[in-house]
Amino acid sequence: MRFSVLTLVVGASLFGLGQNPSYQLDPQWRAPAPANARSNPLADKPDAAAGGKKLFLRHCAECHGNDGTGLTTKHSADLHLAIVQEQSDGTLFWKITNGNAGKGMPSFSKLPELQRWQLVLFIRTLKEAGPAAADPAK
Amino acid sequence: MRRIALFLALTAASTTTLCAAQESPFFVTYTHHMEEPGNLEVETSSTMGIPRSGQRFYTAPYLELEYGVTTQWTSELYLESSSVWGDSTVFTGWRFENRYKPFRREHWINPVLYLEYESVNEASRIQKEIEGSGPDLTSSNRELRGEHAHELETKLILSSDFRDWNISENFIATKNLSEPEGVEFGYAFGVTRPLATLASGGHCRLCRENFIAGVEMYGGLGSTLGFSPHGSAHYIAPVVSWAMSDNSSLRLSTGFGLTDQSNPVLIRFGYSYELAGFGSRISRLFGGKR
Repeated sequence: MRFSVLTLVVGASLFGLGQNPSYQLDPQWRAPAPANARSNPLADKPDAAAGGKKLFLRHCAECHGNDGTGLTTKHSADLHLAIVQEQSDGTLFWKITNGNAGKGMPSFSKLPELQRWQLVLFIRTLKEAGPAAADPAK
Repeated sequence: MRRIALFLALTAASTTTLCAAQESPFFVTYTHHMEEPGNLEVETSSTMGIPRSGQRFYTAPYLELEYGVTTQWTSELYLESSSVWGDSTVFTGWRFENRYKPFRREHWINPVLYLEYESVNEASRIQKEIEGSGPDLTSSNRELRGEHAHELETKLILSSDFRDWNISENFIATKNLSEPEGVEFGYAFGVTRPLATLASGGHCRLCRENFIAGVEMYGGLGSTLGFSPHGSAHYIAPVVSWAMSDNSSLRLSTGFGLTDQSNPVLIRFGYSYELAGFGSRISRLFGGKR
């Protein structure tokens, strides 16, 4: 029992260390209403999240970390945080597509639409799986 | 000094992480997609011209260093040379280009402003763009290398992503600062699409999602001294790029000449290697926090 509690505490601490707790939403970075309302065409294909993970490690991990917890040096979002996960699929898709030039987030419109939706699908899995979801080392 | 610079570059390169190399297959046409900030792309390419009678086979290799300064600003340095069969191999000069994307969001049509300074001689045959009447393909390197040109080149790049297609148009105007040639004009446009739009879960090298194919067309439009598409080189070229790994890609193009001033066939290939986080690594070497 003690071991389990200790593991939980250490695990939670490590989780906390990996995060970018200073991350705050940019109030200027808002998707228009029609974009917010878009739904993920791959929502009923959870298997596509595996491709999303591969794309995440290729395109996003440089700034958001392999586990998606963000990097303080890059001021990048911890994608596990509720302020990220509470956003609609359409909003996340719009943000991936347009980027946030003022804050250093590039546009990923060069990726095909379905691949950007795969990224959204994968970001959703981070909510449930915790920081080890994307990290290939774990 | 050179050794220190080489050491710094190698150190930064060895500590940078891999980054996706989803390269546009175009060789001439530019899209609105910029280099990611802080990333350095090193590319080596070559243009090979199959000759008409009276011309000689040539290959024109060039090195390209592309750096993402910000999300809206990309800089590139080119070093180029030319090797003509039965003639000689010469260094033909360098170019420094900057591309700036004025709008922060994606639009139906995304403009990019392009400004390049060229210090090249007339033996240059890389044909990164064709303006005026195109390069001189008949004179020898000895005659051409002595004619040095300082040129200022501008482009208006218009590019759209429509569904999974990219459609791009470039309008080119070049002023030779060394000779009174007027302002020379050129064009390039093209369309590309990935062969697959859904990424598979596993790692694969030859699967369709790693390939982008398309076609581009480019040529000269004369100058202010005589504006006309006639009497200039024009090409239509199928293009393909292959993301060989997470950080490297290969591009290939076979251009077909459409006029007597064109080579019958223009073959281009390029290999690029992307170093993510290069800028921040260099910055940290000097005590920066980026």
